[in-house]
Amino acid sequence: MGDLSWKDFMSQAKQFLKISQQLGDSWMLEEKDSNEPNTFLKFNQKMKCQSEEGYSEGLVNVEYHVVYSVSYQVPMLFFQAHRSDGSLLDLEATWKLFMPETKARGLYQILTQMDHPVLFRPFMALHPCRTAEVLKQFGQPSDNQVLTFISLYGPHVQLHLKNAYGLVQEYT
Amino acid sequence: MSVEKEMILQFAPWESFVSPTFWHKLAEIKLDLDRLSDSKRSITGHYTNRNASACLLEVDYTAYNRTAQPPKFSHSAIGTIYNKNTIEEFKALDKLHLLADEGKELLADMCSGGVLRDPSLLTRFFVISFADLKCHSYYYWFAFPCPLTPTLKLRGAVQKLRNLPNSDSYIEALKSLPAESQNFFILYANKEQEVVEARNLSSLDENDVEHYYFGFADPSEYEHPAWLMRNYAAFLLQQCPSFVGKTLKFLGLRYNQQMQVDDSRIWQVIQTEACDLSQAGEVKFVGWELNKNGKMGPRMVCMRDSMDPAKLAENSVNLNLKLMKWRLVPDLNLEVISQTKCLLFGAGTLGCAVARNLLSWGFKNITLLDNGKVGFSNPVRQNLYTHADAVAGNRMKATTAAQRLREINPSAETAGHVLEIPMPGHTIGESLLAQTREHLHVIEQQVQDHDVIFLLTDSRESRWLPTLLGAANQKIVINAALGFDSYLVMRHGTTREEAGDVGQEIEGLKCINGDQLGCYFCNDVTAPGNSLKDRTLDQQCTVTRPGVSNIAASYAVELLVALLQHPRRELAPAYYAQSGRGKSEEAAGKVPEGLLGILPHSIRGMLCNFENILPATQKFAQCIACSAAVLNAYKKEGHAFLLKTFETAKYLEDLTGISEFKRLNSEIIDFDDDEFDMSEEDED
Repeated sequence: MGDLSWKDFMSQAKQFLKISQQLGDSWMLEEKDSNEPNTFLKFNQKMKCQSEEGYSEGLVNVEYHVVYSVSYQVPMLFFQAHRSDGSLLDLEATWKLFMPETKARGLYQILTQMDHPVLFRPFMALHPCRTAEVLKQFGQPSDNQVLTFISLYGPHVQLHLKNAYGLVQEYT
Repeated sequence: MSVEKEMILQFAPWESFVSPTFWHKLAEIKLDLDRLSDSKRSITGHYTNRNASACLLEVDYTAYNRTAQPPKFSHSAIGTIYNKNTIEEFKALDKLHLLADEGKELLADMCSGGVLRDPSLLTRFFVISFADLKCHSYYYWFAFPCPLTPTLKLRGAVQKLRNLPNSDSYIEALKSLPAESQNFFILYANKEQEVVEARNLSSLDENDVEHYYFGFADPSEYEHPAWLMRNYAAFLLQQCPSFVGKTLKFLGLRYNQQMQVDDSRIWQVIQTEACDLSQAGEVKFVGWELNKNGKMGPRMVCMRDSMDPAKLAENSVNLNLKLMKWRLVPDLNLEVISQTKCLLFGAGTLGCAVARNLLSWGFKNITLLDNGKVGFSNPVRQNLYTHADAVAGNRMKATTAAQRLREINPSAETAGHVLEIPMPGHTIGESLLAQTREHLHVIEQQVQDHDVIFLLTDSRESRWLPTLLGAANQKIVINAALGFDSYLVMRHGTTREEAGDVGQEIEGLKCINGDQLGCYFCNDVTAPGNSLKDRTLDQQCTVTRPGVSNIAASYAVELLVALLQHPRRELAPAYYAQSGRGKSEEAAGKVPEGLLGILPHSIRGMLCNFENILPATQKFAQCIACSAAVLNAYKKEGHAFLLKTFETAKYLEDLTGISEFKRLNSEIIDFDDDEFDMSEEDED
């Protein structure tokens, strides 16, 4: 447990998508082609962004990608945030968006920028070095590691799954 | 009628929300398809009424697709982009006229029945833009045209759908309406409320108006309905003039995250004055979006950070360094590194390797001085050159290296100067005098313009002038020299005078303050002569184990970085153990550490036993490169002094008194570092 093959990732991602659709959530599956790892889960949400001085910088859109990491054999969370004019938030601004004050240090241990394995552009990412280990600890209750992964890593970057995801009795 | 009932219905204005991919695609289309053409293009946008934020109209790369495919839970808006070729044309656009033109198209759709067939024509928008593709700046202005019609007055309080008496049957009826028809629709309920159904807009029958809720997907998160209801109402009143003076019920359909419609709003409104929109010429339009300052005006966004490859590279490089700061060394000062200007004497094996290490650390400003061309033997060891450079036969190392550094990191500011470094004892003939003076001038200027001098040349005497200039100009000097399997990397003692703490005395360790540390020549008691004289070829063109230069280059850069991060910088003391091996190991553990560990004076290492030692030595009062006598003579006489030393090295020995010193004391000077007898060349 912990490691995930590409085949398993795909079947679990599709299963996750199905649950999402049942729950009326807006996750999508982005498929560039059928090669490993060119299919990933995608989700968008708007967030209100506070600037340093406290006044509202307005809304930002955060796009999340759950992509398969070939080298680590685990799902990886990539994300990118942009303002209403299309400009991207840099790492510091993203950090402030996700980590008001205290818990910030912890996020820097895993928050990084990497080239997106499918889009080949720099993206913010949560580093996958400990994902397998973490997933292993949660191996028993869930048979969908993609779902487990999103629910464990998502909250670091304000990506919260509805509790209903945990209640669906669909897992094979 | 109470005052409350007289309230005028207000609308939440559209707010444009642009995805970076919209600009990416616009740039692509401009470059590959439109080129010089600036004719308008049809685009589409989308808006969602599920868990809506603000009142957003979004555009992304799919905007340019032929057929609109709004994302899930979203509806399409019909738009146009007017992308101009120049900022002047963008500014000169007649905004009033354009808004009226677009508005007239909207009216045409309303009057022709087009809207009945495709209600999405009501959500019309357009963008004027100018894409500055060189600077990756986009100037743009969104407009959402809307005819200026008589005001709509609210009748009664705004209600929520769930509070209607028969809300369950309405909600049930809504479920039967396909998602793509939910943008504009009719919710019908007969008088007895037995029949409740959701219908397409095309079924509109003006006699049934009391039984209708005019439904629309409402992207507003506010109490007010979205702007698009304004066009909706205008259309209905145009289509059915009998609605004037009647109460119309509008249903703004709003889903929450859980896809419940309970919070949908009902507005009962009345328009008392008639108005004919078919006379388009007399209708006025509104709808330009305010900019971020709440003013009428365009917006500008700089997309360099995500679109300019050079900027992408720069940010990625910085990020790697920042991660070091964030995760491991919180006090690391990256600013000082990016601002420190480095001058490299020599663009050979050491020069190339040092330059690349500097880039890795985020140094931005690198200048190389060298007189050589790239030769056939160079590329395998000198990592900024290729075989093709050698084949070309005329590529100078200094300029080629500078160019390669920019190719590696476009945001680096690099320069290369092809010149000879004049050397003591290397006589300059009449014919070369003018050129030498010119080169001297450039070298002096470069030293003054930089913060750090790296000595990476292939001979001992070529290090003399830069050592002197570094000392005279109070620069940081880092020196690296290679033997066959040995290397020496050192920082020269500084001539910068600044009050401050002296190094702390520690038992078993000798402490030498930064301004008391020696230079490369301080330990030598001969002036640099012509060391290439009387040597065999393998000594002239030093043969080294290839790893030596990379190791030394890495140490040289890391030594500089450690120095820059030290609170006392070049004034920082160096420590060394005074006696006995066993003891010295114990003492070495006590050396005070800076941010990145200890800051030695020099690193001498051997590959034959893979060992380093870290000696620290004192300034030598009679040094032929950094002593007061030499510095004063240079300051007083300038080039005249330099030219004298180039004539004969003996002049330096006499000036500093070494000649005397050598004669008297040669017997008692005891160099016991024979095992680290450094050859001073690196490879040419």
